Amino acid sequence: MSLAAEAFMSQMAAAEPWPENATLYQPLKEDQILLSDCASSLAVQAYLRMCGLPVQVFCRANAEYMSPSGKIPFIHVGNQVVSELGPIVQFTKAKGHSLSDGLDDVQRAEMKAYMELVNNMLLTAELYIQWCDDSTATEISRPRYSSPYSWPLNKILAYQKQWEVRRKMNAIGWGGKTLEQVYEDVSQCCQALSQRLGTQSYFFNKQPTELDALVFGHLFTILTTRLTSTELAERVKSYSNLLSFCRRIEQTYFEDKSS
Amino acid sequence: MGTVHAKSLDPLPMHGRDLDVHPEDFMETPDQGQDSKQEILENKDVVVQHVNIQGLGRTKEDLLGYEISDVFHAKNLIDVMKRAHVARQRLLRLGIFKDVEVLIDTSEGTDALPNGLDVTFEVTEVKRLTGSYNTMVGNNEGSMSCLFDRGVFVTLCNVSQVLGLKLPNMLGRAEKLTFQFSYGTKETSYGLSFFKPQPGHFERNLTLNMYKVTGQFPWSSLKETDRGVSAELNFPLGVTNHTLKWEGVWRELGCLARSASFAVREESGHSLKSALSHTVSVDSRNSAIFPSRGALLRINQELAGYTGGDASFLKEDFELQLNRRLFWDSVLSASLWGGMLYPIGGQASCIADRFYLGGPTSVRGFGMYSIGPQSEGDYLGGEAYWAGGLHLYTPLPFRPGKGGFGDLFRTHFFLNAGNLCNLSYGDGPRAHLQKLAECIRWSYGAGIVLRLGNIARLELNYCVPMGVQSGDRICDGVQFGAGIRFL
Repeated sequence: MSLAAEAFMSQMAAAEPWPENATLYQPLKEDQILLSDCASSLAVQAYLRMCGLPVQVFCRANAEYMSPSGKIPFIHVGNQVVSELGPIVQFTKAKGHSLSDGLDDVQRAEMKAYMELVNNMLLTAELYIQWCDDSTATEISRPRYSSPYSWPLNKILAYQKQWEVRRKMNAIGWGGKTLEQVYEDVSQCCQALSQRLGTQSYFFNKQPTELDALVFGHLFTILTTRLTSTELAERVKSYSNLLSFCRRIEQTYFEDKSS
Repeated sequence: MGTVHAKSLDPLPMHGRDLDVHPEDFMETPDQGQDSKQEILENKDVVVQHVNIQGLGRTKEDLLGYEISDVFHAKNLIDVMKRAHVARQRLLRLGIFKDVEVLIDTSEGTDALPNGLDVTFEVTEVKRLTGSYNTMVGNNEGSMSCLFDRGVFVTLCNVSQVLGLKLPNMLGRAEKLTFQFSYGTKETSYGLSFFKPQPGHFERNLTLNMYKVTGQFPWSSLKETDRGVSAELNFPLGVTNHTLKWEGVWRELGCLARSASFAVREESGHSLKSALSHTVSVDSRNSAIFPSRGALLRINQELAGYTGGDASFLKEDFELQLNRRLFWDSVLSASLWGGMLYPIGGQASCIADRFYLGGPTSVRGFGMYSIGPQSEGDYLGGEAYWAGGLHLYTPLPFRPGKGGFGDLFRTHFFLNAGNLCNLSYGDGPRAHLQKLAECIRWSYGAGIVLRLGNIARLELNYCVPMGVQSGDRICDGVQFGAGIRFL
């Protein structure tokens, strides 16, 4: 978003308090949603729970097309529609809720750097595995993505999405990577996160920040999603402090949901 | 034994209705003092021995046999001239000849009878490929609706270039292949159409279409891209004309602006509609644009969902128009439209299937399609509607340009009314009728109408809207409208 648009939105957002009927939209949970979208959606849900902001989750088959930026998830708060974690964090900040106020400038820069790492490594790896690996694409991604639609639209949309993601992978240089290399990248990313986390409860001090929400969203989804091979989950499991981190956040913030 | 040369006539219009033409109107009057000869001509028996067609290139002869076979049954000379004229009309309506001339001569040759005649049609075929390039400036109905009978879509302040390519008489039996490409500031559309009539029965024909049409609907903050194929069968049955059509469309809906209401945002996405539709129409009017007598009844039904696709509904709509000439060349015209959309299978109806009301082509005095259910200024359409109009058309006062340009204009005084709403289908027909009868919007006014060719018209009206409900957008005062189908 441009600076002017951001400023305008902040002004609009600051005017009203967080309403009771805020909603979050994502694709259908049982049949349609894919790994990367589920991770992003869970990250936003975790963040909002950490802020103590109530939000109701709605599943729609056309959530991706409803979103103003084309990405999942998006929230509908009052009159406004905001999508993706970054803009949502800005939006809640304008309303006076923030998790990273207690950080100094160095820590904030570090947090942004780690969030970029997760987005560039983990999210891209998830997209690669979903759409560029033939067996996963054929068995899982294409059937799930196109499940709400009838023939021949389901085939058209699934292949269109696959070509789009593959084009994007080629553009950022991941087109030539093999699956093994991608798993290696995931391991390296997890190692960096694990080192930063160490023995702490959260990444910064004793309070969670948006980085915690983002990491939780991705790692928890990887651990609990069934793919064609368990390689990805195994790589994450090999870092025990990340495992306990996920479990801790799940128990603290999602207890009522999972029980 | 002279030759009788039937005068070649100006080509008759291929589309749209016009005043009835009778062969007697065009017969050459015999020279003075030849009355006795005329009697002989009328009473003398003749036999048509040969009917030839000259000038054929790619047209197949078996196609033309049906059109000219009637000439053989003529009994006397006047009859021959009448039937030859009718055959000439039939040949011209195929759309494959630029010009047809009729030559009637006594027959010659070894097998010639003393009262035998030869009739020859000299035809000029149209070119194999014709092209057209037009610039269309922002009007209220898209160019595509003329060609493919699509629903109305609006482009405001849009200039688009339209390139058309036509291959008439492609395979020799009056088939036609048309390609149209429209490129504009806000939309790009193209379509391919193949038309094949049944030899001998031109009114029974098959049309296959393939198209991609993009439209923008600012009144709903919606943009729609349709990619589809359709197959259409037309045939007459007695006085009625029937059309059976199957259409498969991939519809993509999106928000036109970031500020679109959430109700419209919820409709974004892709859907597939596979629908069978049937239209029956009876048209006894003497003209499509300014009829002075006759009536039109058109009933259309569409069933979607039983041949595949996501959309599932039953849609009915009808159009009725009655015309009657009154004193002093003025015409009273009454019209009634109505429709209902019934979603099947419990899912909600889609914004692209619903009906819209209001604007210079329906209830005048209101903004374009700006009547009925709306959310934050975006009009969502309704599942049932009715609209009625009463018009009095008179020629321009003092009749300037009579007989020429002035005949294209009319003044009209109108009274329009209508209503649009959503129905909850559990309630039953009585509750529905009640709902449609309350909160009627209506308007009255006067204006000038200009006829464009045989298909479209322009209107400039002064309107006074009444019965305005909260949420409707009105356009009181001067309103301009251009289009094909007016209430």
